[in-house]
Amino acid sequence: MIRIRGLTKRYGTVLAVDDLSFDVEPGAVTGFLGPNGAGKSTTMRMVLGLDRPTAGEALVDGRPFATLAEPLRRVGALLDPGALHPGRTGRSHLLVAARTSGIPLRRVEEVLDEVGLGGAARRRVKGYSLGMRQRLGIAAALLGDPRVLLFDEPVNGLDLDGVRWIRGLLRRLADEGRTVLVSSHLLGEVQQIADRLVVIGRGRLIADATTEEILGGLGRPQVRVRGARADDLAAALRRPGLTVAPGGDGDLLVEGATAEEVGALAHAADVPLWHLSDVRPSLEQAYLELTGVATEFVTTAPAPVRTAEPAR
Amino acid sequence: MTALPIDARPVSGGRVLARTCAAEWTRLWTVAATWWFLAAAAVVCTGIGVAAGSEAAADPAEELTAWGVIAFAVVPAQFALLALALTAGTADHTTGGIVPTLQWTPRRPVLLGARVLVVVGTTAGLGVLVAGAAALAVGAVHGPALGLPAGEGGTLLATVALVVGAGAGLALGLALLLRSTAGALVAVVLLEFVLPLFLGNAGFAWARALAEWLPGSSAVFLLTGEPAQLSTAEAVPVVLGWAAGALVLGGLRLLRGDADR
Ligand SMILES: Nc1ncnc2c1ncn2[C@@H]1O[C@H](COP(=O)(O)OP(=O)(O)OP(=O)(O)O)[C@@H](O)[C@H]1O
Ligand SMILES: [Mg+2]
Repeated sequence: MIRIRGLTKRYGTVLAVDDLSFDVEPGAVTGFLGPNGAGKSTTMRMVLGLDRPTAGEALVDGRPFATLAEPLRRVGALLDPGALHPGRTGRSHLLVAARTSGIPLRRVEEVLDEVGLGGAARRRVKGYSLGMRQRLGIAAALLGDPRVLLFDEPVNGLDLDGVRWIRGLLRRLADEGRTVLVSSHLLGEVQQIADRLVVIGRGRLIADATTEEILGGLGRPQVRVRGARADDLAAALRRPGLTVAPGGDGDLLVEGATAEEVGALAHAADVPLWHLSDVRPSLEQAYLELTGVATEFVTTAPAPVRTAEPAR
Repeated sequence: MTALPIDARPVSGGRVLARTCAAEWTRLWTVAATWWFLAAAAVVCTGIGVAAGSEAAADPAEELTAWGVIAFAVVPAQFALLALALTAGTADHTTGGIVPTLQWTPRRPVLLGARVLVVVGTTAGLGVLVAGAAALAVGAVHGPALGLPAGEGGTLLATVALVVGAGAGLALGLALLLRSTAGALVAVVLLEFVLPLFLGNAGFAWARALAEWLPGSSAVFLLTGEPAQLSTAEAVPVVLGWAAGALVLGGLRLLRGDADR
Protein backbone atom coordinates (compact mmCIF):
# COMPACT_ATOMS: atom_id res chain seq x y z
CA MET A 1 0.00 0.00 0.00
CA ILE A 2 0.95 3.63 -0.36
CA ARG A 3 0.76 5.97 2.59
CA ILE A 4 1.01 9.71 2.08
CA ARG A 5 1.19 12.05 5.06
CA GLY A 6 1.39 15.82 5.02
CA LEU A 7 3.11 15.73 1.64
CA THR A 8 4.05 19.21 0.47
CA LYS A 9 6.11 20.43 -2.48
CA ARG A 10 6.99 24.00 -3.23
CA TYR A 11 8.71 25.02 -6.48
CA GLY A 12 9.82 28.56 -5.81
CA THR A 13 6.56 30.43 -5.39
CA VAL A 14 4.37 27.61 -6.71
CA LEU A 15 2.85 25.40 -4.04
CA ALA A 16 2.40 22.32 -6.23
CA VAL A 17 1.31 19.93 -3.47
CA ASP A 18 -0.12 21.25 -0.23
CA ASP A 19 -0.27 19.11 2.91
CA LEU A 20 -1.68 16.07 1.16
CA SER A 21 -2.57 12.92 3.15
CA PHE A 22 -4.23 9.74 1.90
CA ASP A 23 -3.75 6.00 1.67
CA VAL A 24 -3.88 3.79 -1.38
CA GLU A 25 -5.08 0.33 -0.40
CA PRO A 26 -4.26 -2.98 -2.07
CA GLY A 27 -6.85 -4.91 -4.04
CA ALA A 28 -8.49 -1.87 -5.58
CA VAL A 29 -7.95 0.58 -8.38
CA THR A 30 -7.63 4.05 -6.90
CA GLY A 31 -8.23 6.90 -9.31
CA PHE A 32 -6.14 10.00 -8.67
CA LEU A 33 -8.11 12.83 -10.09
CA GLY A 34 -7.49 16.51 -10.52
CA PRO A 35 -7.45 19.21 -13.20
CA ASN A 36 -4.28 20.19 -15.05
CA GLY A 37 -1.64 21.44 -12.68
CA ALA A 38 -3.38 20.02 -9.60
CA GLY A 39 -0.22 18.26 -8.48
CA LYS A 40 -0.89 14.64 -9.47
CA SER A 41 2.40 14.08 -11.25
CA THR A 42 4.32 15.93 -8.57
CA THR A 43 2.78 13.70 -5.91
CA MET A 44 3.73 10.58 -7.85
CA ARG A 45 7.25 11.88 -8.39
CA MET A 46 7.63 12.36 -4.65
CA VAL A 47 6.31 8.87 -3.93
CA LEU A 48 9.03 7.59 -6.27
CA GLY A 49 11.74 9.71 -4.69
CA LEU A 50 12.32 11.72 -7.88
CA ASP A 51 11.49 15.02 -6.22
CA ARG A 52 12.30 15.81 -2.64
CA PRO A 53 9.23 16.78 -0.58
CA THR A 54 9.34 20.21 1.03
CA ALA A 55 7.56 18.57 3.96
CA GLY A 56 5.81 15.32 4.79
CA GLU A 57 6.49 11.81 3.60
CA ALA A 58 5.34 9.10 1.25
CA LEU A 59 5.80 5.45 2.19
CA VAL A 60 5.46 2.37 0.01
CA ASP A 61 4.76 -0.74 2.06
CA GLY A 62 5.96 1.19 5.08
CA ARG A 63 9.27 2.32 3.61
CA PRO A 64 10.45 5.29 1.62
CA PHE A 65 10.77 4.17 -2.00
CA ALA A 66 14.32 5.49 -2.19
CA THR A 67 15.56 2.88 0.29
CA LEU A 68 14.41 -0.15 -1.74
CA ALA A 69 17.10 -2.55 -2.93
CA GLU A 70 15.00 -4.09 -5.70
CA PRO A 71 12.49 -1.34 -6.44
CA LEU A 72 11.16 -2.90 -9.63
CA ARG A 73 10.07 -6.00 -7.73
CA ARG A 74 7.97 -3.86 -5.39
CA VAL A 75 6.80 -0.83 -7.32
CA GLY A 76 6.12 -0.42 -11.01
CA ALA A 77 5.49 3.06 -12.29
CA LEU A 78 4.67 4.78 -15.52
CA LEU A 79 5.33 8.50 -15.40
CA ASP A 80 6.24 10.60 -18.42
CA PRO A 81 6.32 8.09 -21.31
CA GLY A 82 8.62 10.37 -23.31
CA ALA A 83 11.24 10.52 -20.59
CA LEU A 84 13.74 7.99 -21.88
CA HIS A 85 16.77 7.83 -24.16
CA PRO A 86 15.46 7.92 -27.75
CA GLY A 87 18.56 6.19 -29.10
CA ARG A 88 18.03 2.92 -27.27
CA THR A 89 15.80 0.16 -28.57
CA GLY A 90 12.74 -0.74 -26.56
CA ARG A 91 14.37 -4.02 -25.70
CA SER A 92 17.63 -2.55 -24.43
CA HIS A 93 15.66 0.01 -22.39
CA LEU A 94 14.05 -2.92 -20.57
CA LEU A 95 17.33 -4.86 -20.39
CA VAL A 96 18.84 -2.01 -18.39
CA ALA A 97 15.80 -2.08 -16.11
CA ALA A 98 16.02 -5.84 -15.60
CA ARG A 99 19.72 -5.65 -14.68
CA THR A 100 19.10 -3.11 -11.91
CA SER A 101 16.80 -5.38 -9.93
CA GLY A 102 18.26 -8.75 -10.81
CA ILE A 103 15.28 -9.71 -12.95
CA PRO A 104 15.81 -12.64 -15.35
CA LEU A 105 16.26 -11.35 -18.89
CA ARG A 106 13.56 -13.62 -20.33
CA ARG A 107 11.04 -11.44 -18.43
CA VAL A 108 11.94 -8.69 -20.89
CA GLU A 109 10.60 -10.70 -23.84
CA GLU A 110 7.55 -11.69 -21.81
CA VAL A 111 6.48 -8.15 -20.94
CA LEU A 112 7.26 -6.93 -24.46
CA ASP A 113 4.79 -9.48 -25.80
CA GLU A 114 2.33 -8.73 -23.04
CA VAL A 115 2.10 -5.05 -24.02
CA GLY A 116 2.11 -5.84 -27.72
CA LEU A 117 5.53 -4.41 -28.52
CA GLY A 118 7.16 -7.70 -29.51
CA GLY A 119 7.49 -6.64 -33.13
CA ALA A 120 8.98 -3.22 -32.41
CA ALA A 121 11.30 -4.30 -29.62
CA ARG A 122 14.46 -4.01 -31.68
CA ARG A 123 13.66 -0.59 -33.09
CA ARG A 124 14.92 2.62 -31.56
CA VAL A 125 12.49 4.38 -29.24
CA LYS A 126 13.04 7.49 -31.41
CA GLY A 127 10.69 5.96 -33.97
CA TYR A 128 7.96 4.99 -31.50
CA SER A 129 4.58 6.68 -31.47
CA LEU A 130 3.24 8.12 -28.22
CA GLY A 131 1.09 5.05 -27.72
CA MET A 132 4.08 2.75 -28.23
CA ARG A 133 6.11 4.71 -25.68
CA GLN A 134 3.19 4.44 -23.31
CA ARG A 135 3.20 0.68 -23.79
CA LEU A 136 6.94 0.50 -23.27
CA GLY A 137 6.56 2.40 -20.00
CA ILE A 138 3.85 -0.03 -18.92
CA ALA A 139 6.11 -2.95 -19.84
CA ALA A 140 8.80 -1.51 -17.57
CA ALA A 141 6.27 -1.11 -14.78
CA LEU A 142 5.18 -4.75 -15.08
CA LEU A 143 8.72 -6.11 -15.43
CA GLY A 144 9.34 -6.98 -11.79
CA ASP A 145 5.81 -8.28 -11.10
CA PRO A 146 5.40 -5.59 -8.40
CA ARG A 147 2.65 -5.38 -5.80
CA VAL A 148 2.34 -1.63 -6.07
CA LEU A 149 1.70 0.15 -9.36
CA LEU A 150 1.46 3.83 -10.22
CA PHE A 151 0.30 5.04 -13.60
CA ASP A 152 0.31 8.71 -14.51
CA GLU A 153 -2.29 9.30 -17.23
CA PRO A 154 -1.72 5.90 -18.82
CA VAL A 155 -4.37 6.23 -21.54
CA ASN A 156 -2.80 9.35 -23.04
CA GLY A 157 -2.07 8.65 -26.66
CA LEU A 158 -3.65 5.20 -26.71
CA ASP A 159 -6.23 4.21 -29.30
CA LEU A 160 -9.58 2.74 -28.36
CA ASP A 161 -8.19 -0.79 -28.24
CA GLY A 162 -5.34 0.44 -26.09
CA VAL A 163 -7.69 2.19 -23.68
CA ARG A 164 -9.76 -0.97 -23.34
CA TRP A 165 -6.61 -3.00 -22.82
CA ILE A 166 -5.39 -0.63 -20.08
CA ARG A 167 -8.72 -0.82 -18.30
CA GLY A 168 -8.61 -4.61 -18.33
CA LEU A 169 -5.03 -4.59 -17.15
CA LEU A 170 -5.71 -2.25 -14.22
CA ARG A 171 -8.73 -4.33 -13.21
CA ARG A 172 -6.74 -7.55 -13.33
CA LEU A 173 -3.83 -6.07 -11.36
CA ALA A 174 -6.18 -4.90 -8.62
CA ASP A 175 -8.08 -8.18 -8.58
CA GLU A 176 -4.78 -9.95 -8.05
CA GLY A 177 -4.47 -8.01 -4.82
CA ARG A 178 -2.10 -5.32 -5.96
CA THR A 179 -2.18 -1.66 -5.05
CA VAL A 180 -3.04 0.37 -8.15
CA LEU A 181 -2.98 4.17 -8.33
CA VAL A 182 -3.94 5.69 -11.67
CA SER A 183 -4.09 9.41 -12.30
CA SER A 184 -6.26 11.28 -14.75
CA HIS A 185 -7.62 14.74 -15.27
CA LEU A 186 -10.83 13.33 -16.75
CA LEU A 187 -13.40 11.71 -14.52
CA GLY A 188 -14.88 9.88 -17.47
CA GLU A 189 -11.59 8.08 -17.97
CA VAL A 190 -11.41 6.53 -14.52
CA GLN A 191 -15.02 6.32 -13.34
CA GLN A 192 -15.55 2.86 -14.86
CA ILE A 193 -12.41 1.30 -13.48
CA ALA A 194 -11.68 3.09 -10.23
CA ASP A 195 -13.08 1.64 -7.02
CA ARG A 196 -11.97 4.64 -5.06
CA LEU A 197 -11.22 8.20 -6.04
CA VAL A 198 -8.75 10.61 -4.53
CA VAL A 199 -9.57 14.05 -5.88
CA ILE A 200 -7.15 16.95 -5.58
CA GLY A 201 -7.17 20.53 -6.74
CA ARG A 202 -4.38 23.07 -6.43
CA GLY A 203 -2.35 20.54 -4.52
CA ARG A 204 -4.97 20.05 -1.80
CA LEU A 205 -7.12 17.04 -1.05
CA ILE A 206 -10.73 17.61 -2.09
CA ALA A 207 -12.22 14.17 -1.68
CA ASP A 208 -11.11 10.67 -0.80
CA ALA A 209 -13.99 8.20 -1.04
CA THR A 210 -15.40 5.37 -3.11
CA THR A 211 -16.34 6.20 -6.67
CA GLU A 212 -20.01 5.56 -5.79
CA GLU A 213 -19.92 8.03 -2.92
CA ILE A 214 -18.29 10.69 -5.00
CA LEU A 215 -20.60 10.31 -7.95
CA GLY A 216 -23.74 9.98 -5.83
CA GLY A 217 -23.08 12.11 -2.82
CA LEU A 218 -21.17 15.09 -3.93
CA GLY A 219 -23.34 16.18 -6.79
CA ARG A 220 -26.58 17.06 -4.98
CA PRO A 221 -29.72 15.60 -6.57
CA GLN A 222 -32.06 18.16 -8.09
CA VAL A 223 -35.49 18.37 -9.60
CA ARG A 224 -36.23 20.26 -12.78
CA VAL A 225 -39.67 21.71 -12.95
CA ARG A 226 -41.66 23.99 -15.28
CA GLY A 227 -45.15 25.25 -14.57
CA ALA A 228 -47.74 27.81 -15.54
CA ARG A 229 -46.85 30.59 -13.05
CA ALA A 230 -43.17 30.39 -12.33
CA ASP A 231 -43.19 33.02 -9.59
CA ASP A 232 -46.04 31.42 -7.66
CA LEU A 233 -44.42 28.02 -8.07
CA ALA A 234 -41.06 29.28 -6.78
CA ALA A 235 -42.74 30.90 -3.79
CA ALA A 236 -44.65 27.70 -3.02
CA LEU A 237 -41.47 25.66 -3.17
CA ARG A 238 -39.42 28.09 -1.06
CA ARG A 239 -42.04 28.19 1.70
CA PRO A 240 -41.07 24.76 3.15
CA GLY A 241 -37.36 25.72 2.88
CA LEU A 242 -36.31 24.32 -0.51
CA THR A 243 -33.62 26.04 -2.55
CA VAL A 244 -34.93 27.14 -5.93
CA ALA A 245 -32.82 28.50 -8.76
CA PRO A 246 -33.70 29.51 -12.31
CA GLY A 247 -32.75 26.72 -14.69
CA GLY A 248 -33.11 28.63 -17.94
CA ASP A 249 -36.06 28.60 -20.38
CA GLY A 250 -38.41 29.32 -17.49
CA ASP A 251 -37.36 26.11 -15.73
CA LEU A 252 -36.73 25.97 -12.01
CA LEU A 253 -34.09 23.82 -10.40
CA VAL A 254 -35.06 22.63 -6.95
CA GLU A 255 -32.56 21.25 -4.51
CA GLY A 256 -33.18 19.02 -1.54
CA ALA A 257 -36.47 17.49 -2.67
CA THR A 258 -37.70 14.61 -4.82
CA ALA A 259 -39.96 14.93 -7.86
CA GLU A 260 -42.88 13.58 -5.80
CA GLU A 261 -42.49 16.28 -3.17
CA VAL A 262 -42.23 19.02 -5.78
CA GLY A 263 -45.30 17.68 -7.58
CA ALA A 264 -47.29 17.64 -4.33
CA LEU A 265 -46.27 21.18 -3.44
CA ALA A 266 -47.25 22.42 -6.92
CA HIS A 267 -50.59 20.68 -6.62
CA ALA A 268 -51.23 22.23 -3.21
CA ALA A 269 -50.43 25.69 -4.68
CA ASP A 270 -52.71 24.92 -7.61
CA VAL A 271 -50.03 25.48 -10.26
CA PRO A 272 -50.34 23.28 -13.36
CA LEU A 273 -47.05 21.61 -14.21
CA TRP A 274 -45.72 21.17 -17.74
CA HIS A 275 -42.55 19.39 -16.86
CA LEU A 276 -41.18 17.57 -13.83
CA SER A 277 -38.02 15.43 -13.67
CA ASP A 278 -35.25 14.27 -11.37
CA VAL A 279 -31.85 15.53 -12.40
CA ARG A 280 -29.04 13.13 -11.58
CA PRO A 281 -26.06 15.41 -11.76
CA SER A 282 -23.81 14.14 -14.54
CA LEU A 283 -20.54 12.64 -13.50
CA GLU A 284 -18.61 15.42 -15.11
CA GLN A 285 -20.76 17.90 -13.27
CA ALA A 286 -20.05 16.31 -9.91
CA TYR A 287 -16.37 16.41 -10.68
CA LEU A 288 -16.45 20.00 -11.83
CA GLU A 289 -18.33 20.92 -8.73
CA LEU A 290 -15.61 19.35 -6.64
CA THR A 291 -12.73 20.91 -8.45
CA GLY A 292 -14.37 24.02 -9.85
CA VAL A 293 -13.48 26.05 -6.82
CA ALA A 294 -10.00 24.64 -6.81
CA THR A 295 -9.01 24.86 -10.44
CA GLU A 296 -5.82 26.71 -11.01
CA PHE A 297 -6.81 28.12 -14.35
CA VAL A 298 -10.06 30.03 -14.26
CA THR A 299 -11.62 30.10 -17.68
CA THR A 300 -14.19 32.58 -18.85
CA ALA A 301 -16.37 29.92 -20.45
CA PRO A 302 -19.62 29.44 -18.54
CA ALA A 303 -19.12 26.27 -16.57
CA PRO A 304 -22.04 23.83 -16.51
CA VAL A 305 -21.67 23.68 -12.76
CA ARG A 306 -23.28 27.13 -12.45
CA THR A 307 -26.76 25.87 -13.31
CA ALA A 308 -26.54 23.63 -10.28
CA GLU A 309 -25.63 26.47 -7.95
CA PRO A 310 -28.29 28.20 -5.91
CA ALA A 311 -29.06 31.69 -7.14
CA ARG A 312 -28.29 34.44 -4.74
CA MET B 1 -6.67 -11.76 -3.10
CA THR B 2 -3.93 -13.75 -4.69
CA ALA B 3 -0.85 -14.11 -2.61
CA LEU B 4 1.94 -12.54 -4.53
CA PRO B 5 5.45 -13.73 -3.85
CA ILE B 6 6.81 -11.44 -1.22
CA ASP B 7 10.30 -10.42 -1.93
CA ALA B 8 11.84 -11.12 1.44
CA ARG B 9 15.33 -12.09 0.37
CA PRO B 10 17.74 -9.60 1.77
CA VAL B 11 19.90 -8.09 -0.94
CA SER B 12 23.32 -6.88 0.13
CA GLY B 13 24.50 -3.41 -0.72
CA GLY B 14 27.42 -4.86 -2.66
CA ARG B 15 25.07 -6.85 -4.82
CA VAL B 16 22.91 -3.81 -5.53
CA LEU B 17 26.03 -1.91 -6.57
CA ALA B 18 27.16 -4.78 -8.81
CA ARG B 19 23.74 -4.92 -10.50
CA THR B 20 23.70 -1.17 -10.96
CA CYS B 21 27.16 -1.35 -12.53
CA ALA B 22 25.90 -4.03 -14.92
CA ALA B 23 22.96 -1.77 -15.81
CA GLU B 24 25.29 1.21 -16.33
CA TRP B 25 27.47 -0.92 -18.58
CA THR B 26 24.44 -1.84 -20.69
CA ARG B 27 23.32 1.81 -20.70
CA LEU B 28 26.72 2.86 -22.01
CA TRP B 29 26.94 0.37 -24.85
CA THR B 30 23.33 0.51 -26.05
CA VAL B 31 23.63 4.06 -27.37
CA ALA B 32 25.33 4.78 -30.67
CA ALA B 33 27.29 7.78 -29.34
CA THR B 34 29.57 5.51 -27.33
CA TRP B 35 30.56 3.53 -30.41
CA TRP B 36 31.04 6.67 -32.53
CA PHE B 37 33.30 8.32 -29.97
CA LEU B 38 35.31 5.13 -29.58
CA ALA B 39 35.72 4.88 -33.35
CA ALA B 40 36.74 8.54 -33.51
CA ALA B 41 39.35 8.07 -30.78
CA ALA B 42 40.78 5.01 -32.56
CA VAL B 43 40.92 6.73 -35.95
CA VAL B 44 42.53 9.92 -34.57
CA CYS B 45 45.07 8.05 -32.45
CA THR B 46 46.07 5.57 -35.13
CA GLY B 47 45.95 8.09 -37.96
CA ILE B 48 48.05 10.72 -36.24
CA GLY B 49 50.33 8.02 -34.85
CA VAL B 50 51.05 6.49 -38.26
CA ALA B 51 51.44 9.91 -39.91
CA ALA B 52 53.76 11.23 -37.20
CA GLY B 53 55.55 7.87 -37.27
CA SER B 54 56.76 8.43 -40.83
CA GLU B 55 58.54 11.62 -39.78
CA ALA B 56 60.02 10.00 -36.71
CA ALA B 57 61.13 6.94 -38.67
CA ALA B 58 62.87 9.19 -41.18
CA ASP B 59 64.92 10.80 -38.43
CA PRO B 60 66.65 7.99 -36.51
CA ALA B 61 68.62 10.56 -34.48
CA GLU B 62 65.46 11.14 -32.43
CA GLU B 63 65.57 7.57 -31.10
CA LEU B 64 61.81 7.48 -30.83
CA THR B 65 59.78 4.31 -30.37
CA ALA B 66 56.22 3.60 -31.51
CA TRP B 67 55.14 4.31 -27.92
CA GLY B 68 56.79 7.70 -27.98
CA VAL B 69 54.86 8.59 -31.14
CA ILE B 70 51.58 7.40 -29.63
CA ALA B 71 52.12 9.50 -26.49
CA PHE B 72 51.65 12.57 -28.72
CA ALA B 73 48.75 11.07 -30.66
CA VAL B 74 46.82 10.41 -27.44
CA VAL B 75 46.69 14.15 -26.68
CA PRO B 76 44.13 14.93 -29.42
CA ALA B 77 42.56 11.45 -29.36
CA GLN B 78 41.65 11.70 -25.68
CA PHE B 79 39.03 14.37 -26.47
CA ALA B 80 36.83 11.82 -28.22
CA LEU B 81 37.01 9.65 -25.10
CA LEU B 82 36.26 12.58 -22.80
CA ALA B 83 33.24 13.32 -24.98
CA LEU B 84 32.17 9.71 -24.51
CA ALA B 85 32.32 10.09 -20.72
CA LEU B 86 30.61 13.46 -20.91
CA THR B 87 27.64 12.31 -22.95
CA ALA B 88 27.31 9.26 -20.71
CA GLY B 89 26.85 11.78 -17.90
CA THR B 90 24.46 14.20 -19.59
CA ALA B 91 22.34 11.68 -21.55
CA ASP B 92 19.94 10.94 -18.69
CA HIS B 93 19.41 14.63 -18.01
CA THR B 94 18.99 15.83 -21.59
CA THR B 95 16.62 13.01 -22.61
CA GLY B 96 14.57 12.67 -19.42
CA GLY B 97 16.01 9.18 -18.97
CA ILE B 98 16.80 10.16 -15.39
CA VAL B 99 13.13 9.48 -14.54
CA PRO B 100 13.26 5.72 -15.23
CA THR B 101 16.88 5.56 -14.07
CA LEU B 102 16.00 6.77 -10.59
CA GLN B 103 12.90 4.59 -10.52
CA TRP B 104 15.09 1.57 -11.09
CA THR B 105 17.94 2.73 -8.85
CA PRO B 106 16.38 5.01 -6.25
CA ARG B 107 19.38 4.80 -3.97
CA ARG B 108 21.19 7.77 -5.41
CA PRO B 109 24.59 7.13 -3.81
CA VAL B 110 24.54 3.68 -5.46
CA LEU B 111 23.65 5.20 -8.83
CA LEU B 112 26.40 7.80 -8.48
CA GLY B 113 28.98 5.21 -7.43
CA ALA B 114 28.11 2.85 -10.27
CA ARG B 115 28.06 5.63 -12.83
CA VAL B 116 31.48 6.93 -11.79
CA LEU B 117 33.01 3.44 -11.63
CA VAL B 118 31.65 2.31 -14.98
CA VAL B 119 32.09 5.52 -16.96
CA VAL B 120 35.55 6.43 -15.62
CA GLY B 121 36.73 2.81 -15.62
CA THR B 122 35.47 2.13 -19.13
CA THR B 123 36.88 5.35 -20.55
CA ALA B 124 40.30 4.74 -19.00
CA GLY B 125 40.24 1.16 -20.28
CA LEU B 126 39.29 2.31 -23.77
CA GLY B 127 42.14 4.81 -23.65
CA VAL B 128 44.58 1.98 -22.97
CA LEU B 129 43.01 -0.14 -25.70
CA VAL B 130 43.05 2.63 -28.28
CA ALA B 131 46.63 3.66 -27.46
CA GLY B 132 47.84 0.05 -27.43
CA ALA B 133 46.20 -0.78 -30.75
CA ALA B 134 47.50 2.42 -32.33
CA ALA B 135 51.05 1.66 -31.12
CA LEU B 136 50.86 -1.83 -32.64
CA ALA B 137 49.70 -0.26 -35.92
CA VAL B 138 52.61 2.22 -35.87
CA GLY B 139 55.01 -0.61 -35.08
CA ALA B 140 53.60 -2.68 -37.92
CA VAL B 141 53.76 0.15 -40.48
CA HIS B 142 57.14 1.62 -39.57
CA GLY B 143 58.90 -1.67 -38.94
CA PRO B 144 62.15 -1.80 -37.00
CA ALA B 145 62.68 1.97 -37.15
CA LEU B 146 60.02 2.45 -34.47
CA GLY B 147 60.12 -0.42 -32.00
CA LEU B 148 57.74 -1.50 -29.26
CA PRO B 149 59.85 -2.01 -26.13
CA ALA B 150 57.68 -3.64 -23.46
CA GLY B 151 58.88 -1.57 -20.50
CA GLU B 152 58.15 1.76 -22.18
CA GLY B 153 54.80 0.42 -23.34
CA GLY B 154 53.77 -0.47 -19.80
CA THR B 155 54.65 2.98 -18.51
CA LEU B 156 52.86 4.77 -21.33
CA LEU B 157 49.70 2.70 -21.07
CA ALA B 158 49.58 3.25 -17.29
CA THR B 159 49.98 6.98 -17.90
CA VAL B 160 47.21 6.91 -20.53
CA ALA B 161 44.93 5.15 -18.05
CA LEU B 162 45.66 7.82 -15.43
CA VAL B 163 45.29 10.81 -17.75
CA VAL B 164 42.22 9.60 -19.64
CA GLY B 165 40.64 8.28 -16.43
CA ALA B 166 41.15 11.61 -14.67
CA GLY B 167 39.89 13.47 -17.75
CA ALA B 168 36.80 11.24 -17.81
CA GLY B 169 36.22 11.99 -14.14
CA LEU B 170 36.39 15.72 -14.84
CA ALA B 171 34.08 15.39 -17.86
CA LEU B 172 31.56 13.24 -15.98
CA GLY B 173 31.62 15.52 -12.96
CA LEU B 174 30.95 18.59 -15.11
CA ALA B 175 28.23 16.68 -16.98
CA LEU B 176 26.43 15.84 -13.74
CA LEU B 177 26.89 19.36 -12.48
CA LEU B 178 25.76 21.24 -15.60
CA ARG B 179 23.31 18.61 -16.98
CA SER B 180 23.85 20.04 -20.45
CA THR B 181 26.02 18.54 -23.16
CA ALA B 182 26.93 21.86 -24.74
CA GLY B 183 27.72 23.50 -21.41
CA ALA B 184 29.84 20.63 -20.14
CA LEU B 185 31.63 20.35 -23.48
CA VAL B 186 32.60 24.01 -23.43
CA ALA B 187 33.86 23.69 -19.84
CA VAL B 188 35.94 20.59 -20.63
CA VAL B 189 37.48 22.08 -23.77
CA LEU B 190 38.29 25.29 -21.87
CA LEU B 191 39.96 23.47 -18.98
CA GLU B 192 41.71 20.77 -20.96
CA PHE B 193 42.75 22.67 -24.07
CA VAL B 194 41.98 26.35 -24.64
CA LEU B 195 42.93 27.90 -21.30
CA PRO B 196 46.16 25.91 -20.79
CA LEU B 197 47.24 26.80 -24.32
CA PHE B 198 46.44 30.52 -24.17
CA LEU B 199 47.41 31.19 -20.58
CA GLY B 200 50.52 29.03 -20.96
CA ASN B 201 51.71 31.16 -23.86
CA ALA B 202 50.59 34.47 -22.40
CA GLY B 203 53.01 37.32 -21.75
CA PHE B 204 52.23 37.49 -18.03
CA ALA B 205 53.94 35.37 -15.44
CA TRP B 206 50.72 35.01 -13.43
CA ALA B 207 48.90 33.64 -16.46
CA ARG B 208 51.59 31.04 -17.04
CA ALA B 209 51.56 30.11 -13.35
CA LEU B 210 47.79 29.75 -13.48
CA ALA B 211 48.03 27.56 -16.60
CA GLU B 212 50.22 25.12 -14.69
CA TRP B 213 47.33 24.46 -12.32
CA LEU B 214 44.88 23.61 -15.07
CA PRO B 215 44.22 19.94 -15.80
CA GLY B 216 45.07 20.24 -19.52
CA SER B 217 48.68 21.32 -18.90
CA SER B 218 49.35 18.47 -16.51
CA ALA B 219 47.65 15.94 -18.78
CA VAL B 220 49.87 16.92 -21.72
CA PHE B 221 52.96 16.94 -19.50
CA LEU B 222 52.26 13.47 -18.14
CA LEU B 223 51.84 12.07 -21.65
CA THR B 224 54.60 13.90 -23.52
CA GLY B 225 56.92 15.38 -20.89
CA GLU B 226 56.26 18.92 -22.17
CA PRO B 227 56.34 21.66 -20.99
CA ALA B 228 59.42 20.70 -19.05
CA GLN B 229 58.97 23.06 -16.08
CA LEU B 230 56.30 20.76 -14.59
CA SER B 231 57.03 17.61 -12.62
CA THR B 232 55.18 14.33 -12.25
CA ALA B 233 54.84 14.90 -8.51
CA GLU B 234 52.91 18.08 -9.25
CA ALA B 235 51.00 16.96 -12.32
CA VAL B 236 49.44 13.80 -10.90
CA PRO B 237 47.71 15.53 -7.97
CA VAL B 238 46.52 18.29 -10.32
CA VAL B 239 44.71 15.97 -12.75
CA LEU B 240 43.31 13.84 -9.92
CA GLY B 241 42.30 16.90 -7.92
CA TRP B 242 40.31 18.39 -10.81
CA ALA B 243 38.57 15.08 -11.43
CA ALA B 244 37.72 14.63 -7.75
CA GLY B 245 36.52 18.22 -7.39
CA ALA B 246 34.23 18.01 -10.41
CA LEU B 247 32.86 14.64 -9.32
CA VAL B 248 32.11 15.93 -5.83
CA LEU B 249 30.18 18.92 -7.18
CA GLY B 250 28.38 16.94 -9.88
CA GLY B 251 27.70 14.11 -7.44
CA LEU B 252 26.14 16.48 -4.92
CA ARG B 253 23.75 17.74 -7.56
CA LEU B 254 22.72 14.18 -8.41
CA LEU B 255 22.30 13.25 -4.74
CA ARG B 256 20.51 16.36 -3.57
CA GLY B 257 18.55 17.75 -6.48
CA ASP B 258 15.18 16.96 -7.97
CA ALA B 259 15.39 14.68 -10.97
CA ASP B 260 14.87 17.50 -13.42
CA ARG B 261 16.04 17.31 -16.94
N1 LIG C 1 9.88 21.28 -11.91
C1 LIG C 1 8.94 22.19 -11.66
N2 LIG C 1 9.28 23.48 -11.45
C2 LIG C 1 8.34 24.41 -11.18
N3 LIG C 1 7.03 24.16 -11.09
C3 LIG C 1 6.63 22.91 -11.30
C4 LIG C 1 7.55 21.84 -11.59
N4 LIG C 1 6.85 20.71 -11.73
C5 LIG C 1 5.56 21.03 -11.54
N5 LIG C 1 5.42 22.34 -11.29
C6 LIG C 1 4.14 23.04 -11.00
O1 LIG C 1 3.46 22.32 -10.01
C7 LIG C 1 2.07 22.30 -10.27
C8 LIG C 1 1.58 20.87 -10.31
O2 LIG C 1 2.09 20.23 -11.48
P1 LIG C 1 1.81 18.71 -11.82
O3 LIG C 1 2.59 18.37 -13.03
O4 LIG C 1 2.05 17.89 -10.61
O5 LIG C 1 0.26 18.71 -12.15
P2 LIG C 1 -0.65 17.54 -12.70
O6 LIG C 1 -1.76 17.39 -11.72
O7 LIG C 1 0.14 16.35 -13.00
O8 LIG C 1 -1.25 18.18 -14.02
P3 LIG C 1 -1.57 17.52 -15.47
O9 LIG C 1 -2.96 16.98 -15.41
O10 LIG C 1 -1.49 18.69 -16.39
O11 LIG C 1 -0.54 16.48 -15.73
C9 LIG C 1 1.86 23.07 -11.55
O12 LIG C 1 1.49 24.37 -11.19
C10 LIG C 1 3.22 23.07 -12.19
O13 LIG C 1 3.40 24.24 -12.94
MG1 LIG D 1 0.63 15.32 -14.76
